[in-house]
Amino acid sequence: MVNFAHLHLLLNHFPVIGTIIGLGLFLISLFKQNRDLKRGSLIIFAVMALVSIPTFTSGIGARTMIKGQPGVSDALIQRHEGSAMLSFWFIEVLGGMSLIGLWEFHRKSRQSGWNLAAVLVLSLLTVVVMGRTGNTGGDIRHPEIRAGQGDTVTEGTIGSIVHVFEPTPDKFTQAMVGSKWWWAFMMDLHFIGLALLIGTVGILDLRIMGFVKQMPVAPLHQFVPWAMAGLAFNVVTGMLAFIGMPVYYTYDAAFWLKLVALMLLGLNVAAFYLTGTFDSVEHLGAGEDAPVSAKFIAGSSLLLWFAVIILGRYIQVLQDSISNGSN
Amino acid sequence: MALPEIFNTIEQSAISVWIRDTDSLFGFYFILLFHTIGLALLVGGNTIVDLRILGVASDLPLKTLKRLYGIMWLGFGINAVTGVLLLTAYPTKALTNPVFYVKLSVIATAVVVMVKIKRRVFDDPSLSEEAMVARGKTLAMWSLGLWIGAITAGRLLAYTFTYLLYGHLGVLLFGLRP
Repeated sequence: MVNFAHLHLLLNHFPVIGTIIGLGLFLISLFKQNRDLKRGSLIIFAVMALVSIPTFTSGIGARTMIKGQPGVSDALIQRHEGSAMLSFWFIEVLGGMSLIGLWEFHRKSRQSGWNLAAVLVLSLLTVVVMGRTGNTGGDIRHPEIRAGQGDTVTEGTIGSIVHVFEPTPDKFTQAMVGSKWWWAFMMDLHFIGLALLIGTVGILDLRIMGFVKQMPVAPLHQFVPWAMAGLAFNVVTGMLAFIGMPVYYTYDAAFWLKLVALMLLGLNVAAFYLTGTFDSVEHLGAGEDAPVSAKFIAGSSLLLWFAVIILGRYIQVLQDSISNGSN
Repeated sequence: MALPEIFNTIEQSAISVWIRDTDSLFGFYFILLFHTIGLALLVGGNTIVDLRILGVASDLPLKTLKRLYGIMWLGFGINAVTGVLLLTAYPTKALTNPVFYVKLSVIATAVVVMVKIKRRVFDDPSLSEEAMVARGKTLAMWSLGLWIGAITAGRLLAYTFTYLLYGHLGVLLFGLRP
């Protein structure tokens, strides 16, 4: 049996504390006008956005493990879920903006004004709403930190403002599965995003591996924003689907293995760009061979993306493959 | 509506039963998986060619993309074979669904466009890159639109069928009828 509570408690440090660190470094980079530090903070935001995905999805499993136990209030759990549903989207948009900012650094060696403003505002807001998510989560099991008496839901100043924007979990879930046409639309976008992603990343990976060497590498790399768009489509539609059927996905081994593959792809991308591997292939012309390390990264990237497709398809097959403690 | 008896005959055949009912990992979902992979190769490849013709990554020599046609035809082949197998497993479900015919028509048109692009843009070695782009622009836009349409039609099949099997009405996700 997977211990989702443990996983959730382990992972939740990243979106809550990671964003604070990212924001701190981002602000310092602005004051010191340090480009490398700024790039580093954008990388941190992007990584935190990625890790927020399994953080969010492990919540249902964590809930199941403690629900109904003495001292555990359903109302406090609901409040935390609603808060998480708000802050999750903030951190994902922040992650998306950060990826755009990183792309701008690559193309123009500087972040644009609008992106800087967007990242600044979003990161400040994200830290606030994530802080509330952490707080409301802590309240579930820690009576000593609660604002109110016993397990009544009492809001502080910030809480009462943010609370207005938090969705009601059951209503959000219902909205996702209420209409089959909406579900069909989301799945349609998911497949279109998949085609976009595999096409663009695939051709770059194949070239680096040495298969279509008549193409120079640098122009192929210009398709990356389209890959990011495909990724954005799929993270959004994928997470909306999860919100629509949270228990179904939580106890499905294929879904979790798919997330593992996605996290490994995050590592893969980091390895590609942060170890100088990209620099070693960026200017390869027609016919030129890439170094072995680059081929390895490109090969594992392609393999992992196919694993994502395969596991995604097998979600339907591996329903109920993880025990929920009562079956 | 009286269903053609042939659907029943197909569904009772050994291969059809095997695809639907086997416990082996290589049954229906495996075939469906390869249908998705074929889609990724076929539509992914077309997307790169179309986007390039429409001006993305303009530093990439257009001529070099001719090589992608091998991958695209491989994807098409995978989907033709897996498609026939899927149809063998659920003929009533597909052939009584108008969306299925829409899907096939859109795919046929998209493949015609794909071949047209190959002939007009890539097959004449004397054309300059600018000339190639000019000849392919309209076709490339149609291609993108048609492949999006093909994916959409394919996805909608799961949500619009009436019969799961001969004589058996389908029960869709969320218990909603088409």
